[in-house]
Parts: sequence; C-alpha cells; structure tokens
Amino acid sequence: VEAGHALPSPLGRITISSEAIARIVGETARECYGVVGMAGRKWLPDRATRGIEIGGNGDGVTIDLHVVVEYGLNLAEVASTIRNRVSYEVERLTGLSVRAVEVHIDDVRRSG
Amino acid sequence: MTGLNGDREAVERLVDAALASLEANRARIDDLNVYPVPDGDTGTNLTMTVRAVADAVDHTSAASRHSLARDVARGALMGARGNSGVIFSQIVRGAADVLGETNEPLIDADATARALRGASDAAYRAVRRPVEGTMLSVIRELAEEAEARAPGHPPIGELLLDLVRRGEDALARTPEQLQVLKDAGVVDAGGAGLVELVRGVAAAVTGEPIPEPQPIEEHLSHDAIHQELSKFRYCTVFLIEGEDLDRDALEGELEKLGDSLLVVGDPSAIKVHVHTDDPGAALSVGTKVGTIDRIEIANMHEQTQQREERLLSLVPDAAPAKSGVVAVVAGEGNRKLFESLAAQVGPISIVEGGQTMNPSTADLLRAVQSIDADEAIILPNNSNIVLAAEHAAANADRTVEVVPATSIPAGLAAMVAYDGSRTAAENAKEMREAIEAIATGEVTIASRDVQMNGIPITKGEWLGLAEGDPVAGGPDFDDVTYAVVERLLSEPRDLLTLLVGRDGAELQGVLDRIAKAHPDVEVDVQEGGQPHYHLLLSAE
Repeated sequence: VEAGHALPSPLGRITISSEAIARIVGETARECYGVVGMAGRKWLPDRATRGIEIGGNGDGVTIDLHVVVEYGLNLAEVASTIRNRVSYEVERLTGLSVRAVEVHIDDVRRSG
Repeated sequence: MTGLNGDREAVERLVDAALASLEANRARIDDLNVYPVPDGDTGTNLTMTVRAVADAVDHTSAASRHSLARDVARGALMGARGNSGVIFSQIVRGAADVLGETNEPLIDADATARALRGASDAAYRAVRRPVEGTMLSVIRELAEEAEARAPGHPPIGELLLDLVRRGEDALARTPEQLQVLKDAGVVDAGGAGLVELVRGVAAAVTGEPIPEPQPIEEHLSHDAIHQELSKFRYCTVFLIEGEDLDRDALEGELEKLGDSLLVVGDPSAIKVHVHTDDPGAALSVGTKVGTIDRIEIANMHEQTQQREERLLSLVPDAAPAKSGVVAVVAGEGNRKLFESLAAQVGPISIVEGGQTMNPSTADLLRAVQSIDADEAIILPNNSNIVLAAEHAAANADRTVEVVPATSIPAGLAAMVAYDGSRTAAENAKEMREAIEAIATGEVTIASRDVQMNGIPITKGEWLGLAEGDPVAGGPDFDDVTYAVVERLLSEPRDLLTLLVGRDGAELQGVLDRIAKAHPDVEVDVQEGGQPHYHLLLSAE
C-alpha cells in the first residue's frame, strides 16, 4: 500500500492515505453531472475507487480520474466541472493541496 | 390558442422571450450560488447557453421540424457553459428529440407533456447519482405537471401558466431537498433559471409582459456569502472607523491575508470583508489605523460539516481482518495489481516467484505467519507451486486455505472475490468460483521441439496455450496470440485482460483483429512484467 500524504500539524504529521483520497474523489465524481460511470481497470468491480489514481508527494496531490460520460454532452464543460469539484472537495476535506486533476474521458455512453 | 406554432419564426420568438426573462434575472440567479456547485455564476452561464440556442435558431437553414430540432439541440450542446448549462443542454436535447419526431403544425398540451418527459428523462440519465433539490427536480416536476394536465386538453397558454406555478413550487421546495441550500437560505440557482425560461415562454404565448426582475432579496442569508468557494476558513467582516483612512493601502495589506476581499467606504469609515485563515491578522490591520467595530467572524467550513462527515464516514477504518492472502507473483506490474485488489479489503503478502523460480514451503510458511489476520488463503498462481502451498498450509500456526489458482490471471480473478472480513473458508469458496468463471491463456517461446495435442511446436517459436493446453505454435506472434484469443472467446465473454510480460509484446496487430472480430469485447491491457510469458490472458 502506498505511503500516505502528509499534512504538517503542531503535534506531528497527519497522514492521509491515497485510498482515502480516492474514496472522496470517487464519491464526488459520481455526483458530477454528465458522469454515468467510472472507467479504468476493467476487471475491478465497481468499487468506490475504480478508475482513480492518486499520486504526488510533498508538493501536492495529483489526481487522475477515468470517467464515462453521457453521449451528447459538452465534454469540455463536463470535464471542467469534474476538475473543479474534485479539486475543491479534496482540498476542503483533507487540507492537502491539489496540484493537478487530470480528467480522462475514456468513453461516452448513450443511456436509455 | 390550443397549441404552439412549431415553425422557425415562432420558435425564435419563444426562445427570445425565454432569453429575455432569464437575462432580466441573471444577477439575482448569480447571487443564489452556493457551494457545492463551484459554478461561480449560474445565471450568467445559463444565459450564455440559451443565447447559443437563440443563435442557432437565428442561423439555421433547417427546412423541417426534424432538422430545426436537431440544430437547436446542437446549439445547446456547443454553447453549454458551466454545470447548469450542461444540464440545460441535455434538457433541450431531450425535448428536441421528442418534438423533432413529428411534423404536426401545432405543439399542443399533449406534445408539450411528451417533450417535457423526454427532457426530464434525458436530464436524469446523464448522471450516475442524480441529486435532488437541483434543476433536475424542477424539470421532473414540470414533466409531471404537464402529464397530469394534458388529458384535459387545456389551451397551451393555460398549461404554460400552470407550469410556471408548478415550477415555482418545485423551486421553493429545493431547500428541503438539499441541505446546503437550506443552510444558505436560498433556492437552487439552476432551477431558478429554468423557471424563468418557462415564465418567458408563457409570457410570449399569453401576451403578458415579462415580469420585472425581482430585486436581490435583502434577506438573502449571510451564510450564502460565507459559502462562496474559498480555500480560506474564516469569513471576516468588520468596520474600521478613523480619520483619513486610506482604502487602497488597507486593500494592499489585506489582500496578502486571503481572498474574496471587499474594502468599501469613505475616509472616516471602511467596511472590510475578507476570507482568511488568520482573522486576527486582518483585525490588526484595522486597529493599526483606527478603531474596529461590528466584527463578525464565521467559520465557513463548519456549515458544511455534516456533508463532510458523511463523506468521511465512507472511508472505513481498517477493521481487523479475519483472513489475509499470500500470493505468489512474478512481475512488478502484477504485484501492484494484486496489492491494489487487496487495498482496503484485507492484508496481503506477496511472495516472489513463478514458473522458473518456485518458492519453497518455508518461504510460503513465513509469509503466512507474517499476515496480520487469524486465517490465510494461499494463491500459488502456478501449478508447480500448489504442492508447496499445501505443505505450508498443513504446517501453519493458523487455518489456511489453498485456492489452486494456476496462473496469474486466475489469481487476479480470485482476488476480485476476496474480502478480508470473511473467514478463509468463506473466501476460498468465492475465490474458487471466480476462477471457474474465467478462461486463461498464455503466450511464450517454446523451449524445445515437441508435438502436443497434434500441434508441432518448434523450439524458439511462439507457443500459445489456452487453459493449459497448447492451441497454436509458429513463427508469427500475432497468429499464435490470436489463436489463443479465439479459443478464450469461444464462449461469449465481455472482457479480455492482457498482462504484458517483462520482455514486452507488440500488441497492435492482435488488438486490431480483436476489435474487428469481437467489437463487443472490452480489452484491458496491463503491464504485468512477468518473466517467461510474453503475454498472459484471461477472459471473463
């Protein structure tokens, strides 16, 4: 398991695991308008962290997410909303600074 | 009037009226914005999106209802701005799809109901988890209202006025549906925009003037301001009183401390609003030049704490596992795949090894005893290691189950079924079933001349195996690999996973052939990094 992301505090470091960050990213992404699913390692069941990679150390967290978006939406706007919300939620909930959020639209799907 | 005229000029008038109604309320809607939608200015975004629709109607050369509908939907898609604009474009598309199907000259109550239903359904299906208390709930209620009224065949103007009322009603209830709106004392901004659009259309049809924009409500909760998107924690507001106060100098001092800065007033009294992590420092800036009064400091993050707690509660504490996994794995990529499948699920210990490097019983036993769980499961991942695994199980200080996965892909399939909160026996049952459900294959280089299953294999040439049996041999990697793939896909399968070995493999030719012959099968390629096997395959 990857080492945690450290947050300095007066009484010692707080570490937040990549898994915890990935959970927050997954929850947030699924609520973003246009996202109909998470892509990524196909043989993984649809766990909360599917399609999400957390990286970076020291100078900020980097987040890669792989999503499936509804066909017929403006992909650039959907991606921009995802990037803003994910970055905002992670910074707000963890106190870590987010250096980059890379949104990969792996597929589009026509639902219904 | 029983119906709306659906030709281009009529549509243009309706869109223009809708746009005028929205523009008149743009600033008010912008001010409704609250977290959690960092969509700074919903009114503006929505207005620009509707403008794009109006432009599309202006410039279309569409000769039929069908092509007009298509151009309108396309205009909305291309012009969509912000989150609310994207939702609106989907609403437009859903309605246009329905209205474009017919060439009936008049759009009556029944057609309106079907269009709104199409709009609502389209809006809902484009999000994995629809959030109520947003534009989505407003469009859904509009569809419900139209469907309830349509059987009575009301004149279209009457129906539209009912829709405005229902929209206002749905909008007024958004704070009950979404806590963050309630906390801020506002209604949903996107929903408010949608109601204004319907109001504009209704006004155009009934001939009523578009109502004057309502002033920004003075009772807009102070919390609404506090919930602006800010990375700083404290919203700090105070009044500085003094003589010859220098507004610009104060601004310069304060902007170092945070953001969302507002410094307004005259040389005798200046009001300061700043988001900062250090309210004390902000207040000191004031006390240096005058006296401070009417201090308000609000913790902006506290108001959303409930949601925060809910989100954080989704991150489980690592509960003590009942059972852990010992997996024999070759290749750095494969190791990571096993570890990522165990992450958050239970402990895992990887023992390096495989076809050409079999770990001993002692190695496996050591790994079993190191696992932080009462019981363990061993995944040998190679037929040559099953026996050593069974010896280790028999000699361990705890209950150990051997799940006889005989390849890396089989082991990975088993890992997907593993859950550390179950006992080893429960896991073993699920993991065996997972292995049964997949087919595995291998591509390697033959180490000697041999005749197997009637297939002549020449040393140094490619050898493909499916479920452990040779199925192809020859000098061409693509041909041999594809023969293995065909065998694995002889039963209907959804997903093919390819683990590339340490020596690499040029897959493009094979991937092209798979895409052509099996377009419905998803292919997932991973860097496995295993020695000996250039490619490991599994189909499920």
